[in-house]
Amino acid sequence: MSGGSWTRYAFVAFVAVLVAVPAVAPAFWVTLGNYIGLYSIVALGLVLLTGVAGQTSFGQAAFVGIGAYTTAWLTTSLGYTPWITLAIGLAVTAAVALALGAITLRMKGHYLPLATIAWGISLYFLFGNLDFLGGHTGLTSIPPLAIGSFELKAERALFLFVWAIALAALWATANLLDSRPGRAIRALRGGFEMAEAFGVDGARMKTVVFVYAALLACVSGWLYAHLQRFVNPTPFSINMGIEYLFMAVVGGAGSVWGAVVGATLITLLKQVLQDILPGLLGRSGNFEMIVFGVLLVVLLQRAREGVWPWIARLLPRSAPRPVPDAPPLKARHHAEHPGPLLEVRAARKAFGGLVAVNDLTFDIRAGEILGLIGPNGAGKSTTFALISGALPLTTGDVVFRGRSIGSRPPYEIARRGIGRTFQHVKLIPGMSVLDHVALGAYLRGTTGVARAALKLDRQEEARTRAEAARQIARCGLTAHTFESAGSLALGQQRIVEIARALACDPTLLLLDEPAAGLRYLEKQQLAALLRGLKAEGMTILLVEHDMDFVMGITDRLVVMDFGEKLAEGLPAEIQRNPRVREAYLGGVAE
Amino acid sequence: MVARMLRRPLVAGLAIAFAFAAQSARADINVGVTLSATGPAASLGIPEKNTFDLVPTTIGGQKINWIVLDDGSDTTKAVQNAKKLVAENKVDVIVGSTITPASLAMIDTAVEAETPMISMAASARIVDPGNPKTRWIFKTPQSDSLMADAIAVSMKANGVQTMGYIGFADAYGDGWLAEIKRSAQTAGIRVIAEEKYNRNDTSVTGQVLKIVAAKPDAVLVGAAGTPGATPQKELVSRGYKGRIYQTHGVANPDFLRVVGKDGSGTLLPVGPMLVYEQLPDSNPVKKVAADYINKYEARFGTRSTFGGHAWDAYLLLNAAIPEALKRAQPGSKEFRAALRDALEKANVVATHGVYVMTPNDHNGLDNRARTMVRIDNDKWVVSR
Amino acid sequence: MDLPIVALLAQDGITNGAIYALLALALVLVFAVTRVIWVPSGEFLAYGTLTLAGLQLGKASGIAGLLAGMAVVAGAMEAWRSIGDGEARRLPARLALWTGLPLAIAAALYFIAPLQPPFFVQILLALTAVTALGPLLYRIAFQPVAEASVLVLLIVAVAVHFALVGLGLWFFGAEGSRTPPFTSASFELGGVTVSGQSVLVVATSIALIFALALFFNRTLYGRALRATAVNRVGARLAGISPGFAGTLTFTLGALMCAFCGVLIGPITTVYYDSGFLISLKGFVGAIFGGLVTYPAAAAGSLLVGVLESFSSFWASAFKEVIVFTLIIPVLLWLSLTTQHHEEDE
Repeated sequence: MSGGSWTRYAFVAFVAVLVAVPAVAPAFWVTLGNYIGLYSIVALGLVLLTGVAGQTSFGQAAFVGIGAYTTAWLTTSLGYTPWITLAIGLAVTAAVALALGAITLRMKGHYLPLATIAWGISLYFLFGNLDFLGGHTGLTSIPPLAIGSFELKAERALFLFVWAIALAALWATANLLDSRPGRAIRALRGGFEMAEAFGVDGARMKTVVFVYAALLACVSGWLYAHLQRFVNPTPFSINMGIEYLFMAVVGGAGSVWGAVVGATLITLLKQVLQDILPGLLGRSGNFEMIVFGVLLVVLLQRAREGVWPWIARLLPRSAPRPVPDAPPLKARHHAEHPGPLLEVRAARKAFGGLVAVNDLTFDIRAGEILGLIGPNGAGKSTTFALISGALPLTTGDVVFRGRSIGSRPPYEIARRGIGRTFQHVKLIPGMSVLDHVALGAYLRGTTGVARAALKLDRQEEARTRAEAARQIARCGLTAHTFESAGSLALGQQRIVEIARALACDPTLLLLDEPAAGLRYLEKQQLAALLRGLKAEGMTILLVEHDMDFVMGITDRLVVMDFGEKLAEGLPAEIQRNPRVREAYLGGVAE
Repeated sequence: MVARMLRRPLVAGLAIAFAFAAQSARADINVGVTLSATGPAASLGIPEKNTFDLVPTTIGGQKINWIVLDDGSDTTKAVQNAKKLVAENKVDVIVGSTITPASLAMIDTAVEAETPMISMAASARIVDPGNPKTRWIFKTPQSDSLMADAIAVSMKANGVQTMGYIGFADAYGDGWLAEIKRSAQTAGIRVIAEEKYNRNDTSVTGQVLKIVAAKPDAVLVGAAGTPGATPQKELVSRGYKGRIYQTHGVANPDFLRVVGKDGSGTLLPVGPMLVYEQLPDSNPVKKVAADYINKYEARFGTRSTFGGHAWDAYLLLNAAIPEALKRAQPGSKEFRAALRDALEKANVVATHGVYVMTPNDHNGLDNRARTMVRIDNDKWVVSR
Repeated sequence: MDLPIVALLAQDGITNGAIYALLALALVLVFAVTRVIWVPSGEFLAYGTLTLAGLQLGKASGIAGLLAGMAVVAGAMEAWRSIGDGEARRLPARLALWTGLPLAIAAALYFIAPLQPPFFVQILLALTAVTALGPLLYRIAFQPVAEASVLVLLIVAVAVHFALVGLGLWFFGAEGSRTPPFTSASFELGGVTVSGQSVLVVATSIALIFALALFFNRTLYGRALRATAVNRVGARLAGISPGFAGTLTFTLGALMCAFCGVLIGPITTVYYDSGFLISLKGFVGAIFGGLVTYPAAAAGSLLVGVLESFSSFWASAFKEVIVFTLIIPVLLWLSLTTQHHEEDE
């Protein structure tokens, strides 16, 4: 969603076509359009949940069912108007999604999709076994929607209404993806740990996305009930849940347009097959499902990212949105703190019987570059993880500016003013350098999902982007601002990570082996950047394996071996220290 | 640029749209059929679909276009089909669908298009005279209630005082459970166990053990097609000695093949067509059923009572269309109304019985539409 | 609920659980090597039973036709690839494997079926035919997207599932079938009747599981598959091509599922669309093993079988609700106690 100019024209053209459809198209195609609209809304939620956030769900049909059954029951049994039942349906869905999300979103890997199958099936049979919901047979005589005294009974009137909602959902979702929470959501898949290091509460964000997708499904269900005016459990079964996922993936789960393309493609394909196959293959068999399956296999082989990217390639590439200057984001408080900035106090980490870090104690003083070095397996990375919150301490503590941060989650540590990079660069493929660095400024903004979806965040967004551009310039990467971060050389990627860490306006910068894998020239550039940062007053903890690199730029060094502190002092002292030499020679010999 | 990019697919799309919307000649009568030839109800829908390959293409000298669509046993698709038939094919009457939920879901579409609809599903709810919408709706299969009464009467005659029920966890099973409870109560029989299972379940041991433990005098299995054999075989292998009843849903040769010797002695009410050979010549149904079954078996092998429901829908139309033609031209609102009126007055001898439609009874079947049969040596034998 | 009922329910649950366990193992195997969540495994089971039931009636033209059709498509794909890679020299051998062999099986099936051979021969024929579908399916549907994401592979698997269910309806009809029992023996064990068929199912499952363990630990091919499962890149460096590993895996997986079909045929009615729910339960079992470990997958499957059996006794209307709701806390516990790496997702 790079929001260029042509997308706006395309959007306007799309809306124009939609408005024209009910006026000129044959009645049945309006009917199909209605169903496509309903399916698009659900698939849109899946694009966000599965395509972007990486949480595969087979259970969306169950949320559609909650929306449909809530309104069906309340309007037929209690005579509520559909407008109230929509609100109630959304509330019920939100409650159910929160409860299910609280349990299932903790699951990782393949447990989550299976859990969604599990509650998808459970809810289906629950609908079928509740007598007041009409059991397996269903509820009839659901009233049509009405605006004032105008009944949305005719397909053509309903078409405009359904697509007005679908477009609103599309607009809101596209806005959401291109915003502060959107960047966090895009980082959830493959960059969960990274997002948390910049203050994103990943678990909460997953829940938000899950509820958002469920609410979209609920709206679709509400519309379905009043379009169909009949509900029974089968449209909310696991098969339909699979079909929604199908639509999102076939359309292209990486983009909001993929949802619309997928819903359209699947619906029309089925319809066309129903129309032409009996003529081609005769009426004696039922070949629709067979041909449908085969065609989709072929399609996915040709376009495995879905159909939308394939279409998008044919469309003109839009120029990236420029970054206009904007007032800076509020700086975070860097109040002077007496004493060391960070104190590691007898930190200990044991994995079972293996003690990786053994009662390690050292300080970092404000304004210095401290190097933490040691041979392979000395416990440097574990120490780094204990400071950054990636691992909890077994015993001991880490104190930052006089307050304990030991064993706190990474997003809390980030809030205290600590920025970090990763030993293995953590960049999201397809996300631009600018977006990555803007994600770094996550904690300096306040926009939530609702504001972002409604596009009320433009002022803050402009300031965030301007800030990101400044940090990119500070690190000398301006030429690459709009490139996909994944396409850069490793050296540049490490610099992007530093720019991202700087965007959070940290008091302390933690760098995890930033020189690893870099060529000589790249190391020189990195060293120059770090010296510049120090000159601006930044405090840096540098965990490094490369002795030569460290010696040139650090103020002090802490040397670790076998999980313990071997030595501490000025680089020159350390170089002369016989124990260090022995450890490193041993390290070389291994 | 963009406009051009978008225009091409749009034009192509609209061209396809209009191509498929091409309308058939005005003078013909269009009959739209939607049935469940795939999905869970496929074993019911396939013989119905086959039957529409046999129906004549003229009635009363008018050419009839039979437009047959599959709804995959899915209510959404059934409604979509109904809307398509109404909007694109301008049908004069809708036939379908195979299952109760799909038929119920289609009612609103038919009523709004003022198009008569003949359902091939079981539940009496579809033609509930208390619902003003059902003015446009008719149905051919015997209602569950009619068949349930027959079972209750047979049970009573066999001295049954308590019964157990095991049926599909779907609309078919639920419908039967409701009806048999009502019929049993009238007959003074207590339902002491109610169990459900899914058509595809690999095992019903748990349910059957519970029923056997309750020691009912008889057990009714509320299922359609070969899945009806699963609880029956389990009951037999658990040593259940009471009578086993099935519903007319299982009345096809595949059920006999699968249930094998465990089926012997089973009682069930069926439409008379299944055993037309054993009917007395005086029964008017015999000749009609023989005619249909001979045609069907010559082409598709073995008979199915579900195909009969489709044939009966044709027979109803065969009687009503000439009447309606006297009043209006096909394709018009007036013709559809006239067809509805004619269907409401229909008095037709068909394969499943004699339809005597009235404004209060849009099914029109009576006791002549059911015969108790017993499974004996892999054959259906009329039980007297 | 007295003791005999408990024992009978347990027997029923374990029998079904043994079937789920075999399916779960097939799913774990296929996933570990190819990353495909093999949704159509259930169709292979259903095809196994229904092909055997068809052979009983002397009919097998549907499967034979499918095999022949897939053989032609696979042959065309191989020809395209060979010419594209400049390996036309190797084409005859490839065609013999991908087109000749399946065509031969199809022909055997087509001509032997009407002769109504002995039951044992019928079983062999059914197993061979359905097993042959496995590698063909891999070659045609999955190999071209072998490097795609797990999600895309899953969606391809679902599309294949749709096609196979549709074909199943066409070949076998909407009604179900059973096959004759292998044994009608039953015996008393502590006052409870145990059916010979159940014992056979459980014993065969256990035997097959041990055979697989032997295959993976003792044979070259088995070790190659294990190597691929552990490390795809490493396996390729060691000279095991992913295409070969995938083909072998799908052959094994198809064989296991078809075998399940033959085992289950005498104890229940199988329909053209029975596969999905059965494989879903196998999948639940497989997930219990994290899609990685075989013993945990087998244990999970047994748990599902027993849970299902008892809940169908207690509250049959809510059977699936109970089974699938109860697995959620188990999943949660498993998820929280296993280590995950972000890169795996």
